[in-house]
Amino acid sequence: MEDFLELIVSVGEAGSIYALVALAYLLVLRPSGIINFAVGEWAMMGGFAAVSLITWLKLPYIIGLPLSIMCIGAIAWVTGLVVVNPLIKRNASPMSKVLVLLGMLIVYRETSASLYGYDPLFVPMPFGFGRVEVGPFAGSSQSFFIISVVAVVFLLAWYFFERTIWGKAFEGVAINRQAAMLMGINLKIVGMSSFISAGMIAGLAGVLQAPLTSAHFLMGLPLAIKGFTALVIGGVGRVEGALLGGFLLALLEKLTIRYIDIPSGYALGVPLLLMIVFLLFRPNGIFQNKEAK
Amino acid sequence: MNNTLKFSRNLILAMGLLLAAGTAQAADPIKIGVITDRVGNSAAWAKPIEQGMEMAVNEINAAGGVLGRQLKLRYESDQSKPDVSATKARKLIGENVAAILSITTSPATQQAQTVTAKAKIVHMTPANSADYLTKKLDNPYFFQMGPLGSTQIRTLLAYNKKKNFKRVALVKDNSNLGSYLGKVFKTNLEKSGAKVVVEQTVEIGATDAIAQLQKVRAAKPDAIYHSGIVVSSMAVFFKAYHQLGLKQPILGSFNLSVPKYLEVIPGMMDGVVFIDAMDPSKPEAAKFMAKYKKAYGSVPFSLPAYGYDGVKVLADAIKKAGSTDSDKIRAAMATTKDWVGVLGAKGQVVDFSKSRAGFSVDGAVVRRIENNTHGSIVHSGTK
Repeated sequence: MEDFLELIVSVGEAGSIYALVALAYLLVLRPSGIINFAVGEWAMMGGFAAVSLITWLKLPYIIGLPLSIMCIGAIAWVTGLVVVNPLIKRNASPMSKVLVLLGMLIVYRETSASLYGYDPLFVPMPFGFGRVEVGPFAGSSQSFFIISVVAVVFLLAWYFFERTIWGKAFEGVAINRQAAMLMGINLKIVGMSSFISAGMIAGLAGVLQAPLTSAHFLMGLPLAIKGFTALVIGGVGRVEGALLGGFLLALLEKLTIRYIDIPSGYALGVPLLLMIVFLLFRPNGIFQNKEAK
Repeated sequence: MNNTLKFSRNLILAMGLLLAAGTAQAADPIKIGVITDRVGNSAAWAKPIEQGMEMAVNEINAAGGVLGRQLKLRYESDQSKPDVSATKARKLIGENVAAILSITTSPATQQAQTVTAKAKIVHMTPANSADYLTKKLDNPYFFQMGPLGSTQIRTLLAYNKKKNFKRVALVKDNSNLGSYLGKVFKTNLEKSGAKVVVEQTVEIGATDAIAQLQKVRAAKPDAIYHSGIVVSSMAVFFKAYHQLGLKQPILGSFNLSVPKYLEVIPGMMDGVVFIDAMDPSKPEAAKFMAKYKKAYGSVPFSLPAYGYDGVKVLADAIKKAGSTDSDKIRAAMATTKDWVGVLGAKGQVVDFSKSRAGFSVDGAVVRRIENNTHGSIVHSGTK
């Protein structure tokens, strides 16, 4: 039982990070139809922003965290402005935007590597390492911090989409771009804010993860894969999908490693099997799209 | 008039001669090719080794150089890729280097050897540990410093025997080298009579290793062997180790001597023991450490010493050969024995006269990490 409760915290921690990345995918995907694989690199850059601000400038975490996130939001905004907007103006297909962002992925990665070097860099744990117990649950201080921050983020995201007029505008664009434009929704603003918010969310994932694993220029790819798997599982329709997908993926990963007696190398493949199963039998994920209802 | 002409002609001739002599001396250093890695997988290893090489070259040059000529290092980066390494070796040979030092990975060095063997040029690795480097090819021009992989594992197992760890856990990551070392650990442990009771992999990019270490905890091993090398996997491993309150001693490969880990997970590795080749209580090592500290402002780990010893042993051979002729340097290298470097346990010597892998079988040590730095020697040799 002790093992299981510890494992649940570990699932919560990993699931939270996967869910954030999945949400970053979703924020761009919904209004624009673009699958932005560069979210992993945005997260990586979030980790490096934390290195600059928290490790090097020694800013307190409470200031360094939001500043790092804003940096990545700004980078995402500029990316949207410079490379994606011109394509939208010329009515390019979504595929060309996906490709251009894949190109940006290389630009981000190589620029970060040349700026920060090829070695992993240290980001301190804001509340120290070691065992922390909350009721029957045990984890590290960082695990509980990550879970709380992500809970707040998802509450805000849910509130935004379900309860505000701006959220409705986003949904409107997602469901029918043409109609939304005719209804007077400013597509430019929706498009840009989806990029900025996705950048901030992905950046947050990186800032939260960096103290666990260190910041490294290759840390983006595994995150991009995990986040995408979570998105496929949860469905691209709603924010709850990203959250549930992230947690299910993490749960499956950890339970397989802990309780199923196969060589641990093979256990790593199980989540990918799950993704294949979902793509084959339920390609829309657990939550259906709104328009499908 | 005639006299003046003669005089000026002589003057010009003399000046010309002086000039020629001057350029000959200044522009004719002994070039040593170095195949390093600036951007690839072993850049983190290669950089500190380069530092040690620079130190040795500066020292030798300040003392007048070798055979009255200055030493000069010519770097080429092979990105740890075997094919690139061979190309770079060819390029360096084209530039007439006196010898080539390889400091990236064993497979890359092996590939470069196919070129240096044909060109009959002295080729040495101060740092690679693979046993096959001097065994697969019968290349009398190739030499290997530093403890062999087999020496390293035998040293660690001798320590294991002393501590009487019978049931051990094995943790690795899914990198090539990490899983390879894991395999080496496993076969050798089981040959020595210990039993691997649980084997776990920490994936590159994982955010924690709780599930894996719970399995380790449940198996109740006497000790944990860690063969991983990827920093992020290492970081989550040690976080989980402390979080789950594990107390088992951790034994690691030579890779744990890379100082990066201590920077990225400070304070978490105290008590870990790993294979090393430097004994700080040895006078040569103590002297080197003081010099390094003066030059770079920090206490060195063993990696710079590999580069330092590599350049020094080669320079000694060139001196002994009395020329930069490849065959003469080779002959001088092959008769080098009783050579004491910075590396190696106390009382151990480098001897190329019996084997082209000259590091003493009992030259490796087991060191413990204390106060977030490489601390005392807990075991030395293979007995």
